[in-house]
Amino acid sequence: MSEPVPDWTAGEPVLFVTVCSLCGTTWYLPAEHCPVCGSGDHDVRAARGTGLCVAVTRVHVRADADDGVLCLGLLELDEGPVVMGRVHDPDLAAGDRARIEFRTDGPDGGLLPSFARQD
Amino acid sequence: MTALLTGVGVTAYGRQPGPDSVDWQVQAAELALADAGIEPGEVDAVLTGYSTVAGHLMPANLFSERFGIRPAIAFGLSVGGATGLAMLAEATRLVESAAARHVLVAAGENRASGQSRETSTRILAQVGHARYEVPLGGTVPAYYALLASRYLWTFGLGPEALASLPVQMRAHASRKLGAQFQKPITVADVLSSRPVAEPLRLLDCCPVSDGGAAFVVSATPTSERSLLVAGTGQAHRHQHLSAMEPGGSGAVQAAQRALGEAEVTWEDVDVFGIYDSFSITVALLLEELGLTPPGRAGAYARAGAFEVDGRFPMNTHGGLLSYGHCGVGGGMAHLAEVATQLRHERGAAQVADCEVGYVHADGGVLSAHVGVVLKRVATA
Repeated sequence: MSEPVPDWTAGEPVLFVTVCSLCGTTWYLPAEHCPVCGSGDHDVRAARGTGLCVAVTRVHVRADADDGVLCLGLLELDEGPVVMGRVHDPDLAAGDRARIEFRTDGPDGGLLPSFARQD
Repeated sequence: MTALLTGVGVTAYGRQPGPDSVDWQVQAAELALADAGIEPGEVDAVLTGYSTVAGHLMPANLFSERFGIRPAIAFGLSVGGATGLAMLAEATRLVESAAARHVLVAAGENRASGQSRETSTRILAQVGHARYEVPLGGTVPAYYALLASRYLWTFGLGPEALASLPVQMRAHASRKLGAQFQKPITVADVLSSRPVAEPLRLLDCCPVSDGGAAFVVSATPTSERSLLVAGTGQAHRHQHLSAMEPGGSGAVQAAQRALGEAEVTWEDVDVFGIYDSFSITVALLLEELGLTPPGRAGAYARAGAFEVDGRFPMNTHGGLLSYGHCGVGGGMAHLAEVATQLRHERGAAQVADCEVGYVHADGGVLSAHVGVVLKRVATA
């Protein structure tokens, strides 16, 4: 198993994508083998953190006890994969160019990727 | 070797406090065995779906002891909403390989009254990635809302585009005894219901229910009402939304495997049961399967395509959206309804001359897919 590189889930303000050395498929969530060609040979690269916002939802019925509205989005990274994150820019909508910021909004003050319109 | 669906049993779904998960499984199993016309002692294999309320390690053993049978084979299965059809597929293999003569498939859960809404929401949200998604605070409706947001943006549609689907499901449920919700609704009702995770509103989302469902799969027909399990197919291409290929969830692969095994095409299918946990779920499935053009599932619903006399009669019991959703049993009710249609026993809501049916379920966030083709034996 490959050694995990510390990313935002470990408190480092960075988000990695993995690129298959054989077929070039790029993915986000940790996986030992390329889901397309099965190769175990791949490179982990830091994402630039920019892309196209393809979805936004305002969550009214939450999993935690909080009554506030929670905003989530999907960002299609310029590298290809889709990333789920919070949305802190109230004007961000699907179709907008967006960038990732890391904010300490997570459980116990952990980092979370959050999206805003790109300047 | 062939496998036959000889019995189906579905209880009423709704908020029905009292029975626990295993009680619901027992009720459904009694119905299915009576429907098949066999005795409990004739069952030699038992497959049981998980219950989020019971949370037991050995659901098939738990059920069998309580029901009072001692099968040669028993196991539980867990692929989310696709579990019921996945169990049917395994039951088919057990019968085809002569490992069993009668397989009882049972599921049931007191999901509505056995746990709080908060607990249910939190447990179900765990289909998200524990490290990369769950900490963001999402829920299952939120994950599907993201798919809905992307869908509406992709096709330049407003939220009303999906609203005709729950309206159609409710119209079906109004003609089905046992459905959780039967009072007809309009597009305006859907759009004015309270937001759950925008663009999804309350009436875009299936309810949480108490209830149970069961099937009997046998090596030989037990009556003229027995149906052929003509084909099953599955696909498992991702678990998490962040790993899903847009437009390539696996629905097509599962369906093509099932249709191929049954040696039929969409042209041959007369009646459908398509998983509808949310309005967006059934829209995405219909479009990925190629039954309606991309972005047009709602428009097809408005035009009556999914009515009893429409081009694709679908979920004529009301689906998860209106018949209800008691966990694993939820997606099994679609198959029981298609079976009832193929037996020509659906009375006023009978689809005329139906001979071949297709049922599709997904689990997680379009993560696990199972398709099943049923045929009247005379057709096969």
